[in-house]
Amino acid sequence: MKRLFSAVFVSLLLFSVAGAQDLTLDNILSKYYKAMGYENLQKVNTIIMTGTMIQQDAMPVKIIRERPDQCFMEFDIQDITAYQGFDGQTAWWTTPWTGNPKPQIMPDDRAKDLKSRADFDGLLFNWKSKGHLVELIDLDTVETSQVYKLKITKKDGGIEFFFIDATKFILLKRLYYRVVRGKEVAMENYYRDYRSVQGVLFSFTQDTHFDGQPYNSLQFDAIELNKLVDGQIFRMPEK
Amino acid sequence: MKHFDLCFFLAFILLFPIIGSGQEVLQWSGPDRDGVFHETGLMKSWPGTGPELLWEFDSLGNGYSSPVITKNNILINGEVDTVSYLFALDLSGKYLWKSKIGKEWMLSYPGSRSTPTVVNDLVYVTTGWGQVACLETRTGKPLWSVNMVTDFHGQAPRFGFSESLLINGNTVYCSPGSPDTNVVALDRFTGKIIWISKGAGEITSYCSPVLIRLPQRNILVTFSKTNLLGVDTKDGKLLWSYKQEGQDIDCQVNTPVYENGFIYCVAGNGNGAFKLKLSDDGTKITEVWKNGRCDNLMGGFIKVNDYLYTSGYEKRQYYVVETTGGNIVDSVNFDRGTTNYSDGMLYLYNEKGQVGLFKPNGPKMEQVSTFKLTRGTKAHFSHPVICNGVMYIRHGKSLLAYKIK
Repeated sequence: MKRLFSAVFVSLLLFSVAGAQDLTLDNILSKYYKAMGYENLQKVNTIIMTGTMIQQDAMPVKIIRERPDQCFMEFDIQDITAYQGFDGQTAWWTTPWTGNPKPQIMPDDRAKDLKSRADFDGLLFNWKSKGHLVELIDLDTVETSQVYKLKITKKDGGIEFFFIDATKFILLKRLYYRVVRGKEVAMENYYRDYRSVQGVLFSFTQDTHFDGQPYNSLQFDAIELNKLVDGQIFRMPEK
Repeated sequence: MKHFDLCFFLAFILLFPIIGSGQEVLQWSGPDRDGVFHETGLMKSWPGTGPELLWEFDSLGNGYSSPVITKNNILINGEVDTVSYLFALDLSGKYLWKSKIGKEWMLSYPGSRSTPTVVNDLVYVTTGWGQVACLETRTGKPLWSVNMVTDFHGQAPRFGFSESLLINGNTVYCSPGSPDTNVVALDRFTGKIIWISKGAGEITSYCSPVLIRLPQRNILVTFSKTNLLGVDTKDGKLLWSYKQEGQDIDCQVNTPVYENGFIYCVAGNGNGAFKLKLSDDGTKITEVWKNGRCDNLMGGFIKVNDYLYTSGYEKRQYYVVETTGGNIVDSVNFDRGTTNYSDGMLYLYNEKGQVGLFKPNGPKMEQVSTFKLTRGTKAHFSHPVICNGVMYIRHGKSLLAYKIK
């Protein structure tokens, strides 16, 4: 009897893996959009996320996004508030821990990353019309989950990898690279604790690893949709 | 009968100086600086949304200082536009006045740090840049001030001066932390120097000292950068020191606790948690145990019977440590933060802004109620205060008063 169960289990496993491998990129993306609630996301114009960023200390963080590609982030490091923003044209930030509290244009490599994250629907949605190239690379594993590994070559030439759960079709991990002091280091975002907000799935815990080591964790208490936002907030302030 | 009256009279006369010198000091972390508030009849559980918020004062300025509650007002430090102020509120949270102290710490973790110390009509405060000031409790009128950097060659540690001043009798103690002026005793009425102790000759380490009263002597116990120091309060003589091991250590923040001949500490780095035996005359210490896994940085710890309750730092959870061998016997996932105790319950306030009511049950911490603080600004670092059935929590610019009785 045990052998029969084992045989059935192994067969099911092989079938599911084989099934997974059979899916085309379009099939995967279609399931991904559905799982993440993209249909409902199209009715959303603003997202306000508030919570805590744990990076040694636990400090408050607030992220505001507006269609099509504007974003603003307010966060504290050593209890000093810093800001990052992108108004669709200009990426800027403040780095008060360097002694300079004034807003500055963000360096190119960081700006590219911020622009990617500012895309309201994400890089994968309508990727062709945005000028990106998306390829299905392989089946892979993220922690204990089987995932589809997708490679995105962005319009600006940057490369990112998305890892989509092969069963639930939600995003589990994003991998990209950042140049730090002349060295290219891997940045890995792990997306956990998905919850539905008005039919759209959001990750309420996002852990980032820097060069393979845990770096910080964003833990959101609240995600609000379609709240009125003053667009001025995305623009670089003069002071 | 007359004989009885005479005896009573003599006893009264003889005892009067003792009663008269009894000094009520309102200060950091409760009457004994051990995180314990001696209240009774407090709620044993809270509603899901937390206890009733009586009031909020949201214009304190930045900082982490805790309040002191006097009979007439609430005193607390805050930074506004780089200046440190002592704020006074009435007991219903209404603003009364603010008094300028000096330049406040604006580097990493900007804002006020220390908690005022009140003795009757005088209040004593410090700033992150080492200003020590005495003011009138009722009006905030400045009476005298000294600066630990300019007057005593002190050196601000990397996160600024953070001690809450200790007072005993007519003396106020501060820790400038230079090679020659590790600890200084000042006349609390004039600010004049009583003695200067070289101590370990090193910079201060954010610790608010505790006073140990023994028959032979009183001992001020505090941390400097890499040492726990025992200083005779009579003359500033260094009685003993206890070296903290490890590299890059400078965060010995938590106030030590003394009980029945033993000193207990939980430090962010160095030796972590440790227990020392103090000789009867207070001149010697002997290490009983130490546990480097207990690394609470600044949330304090509570001793209840044979257990210490505290949080970790690297591991974001709360611990129970048994005091015989120093072993961790339980841990609870409640992030990391402060620990206080009153009326049989532990009050935890973690860095994510969650406030927890826990029951210390020997080797276990049992969660009873929690709620999330949704008001205030910036980091959740301040230590709560419980007084007259009210729990006061400072969150950045806000002071919140919750009814817990």
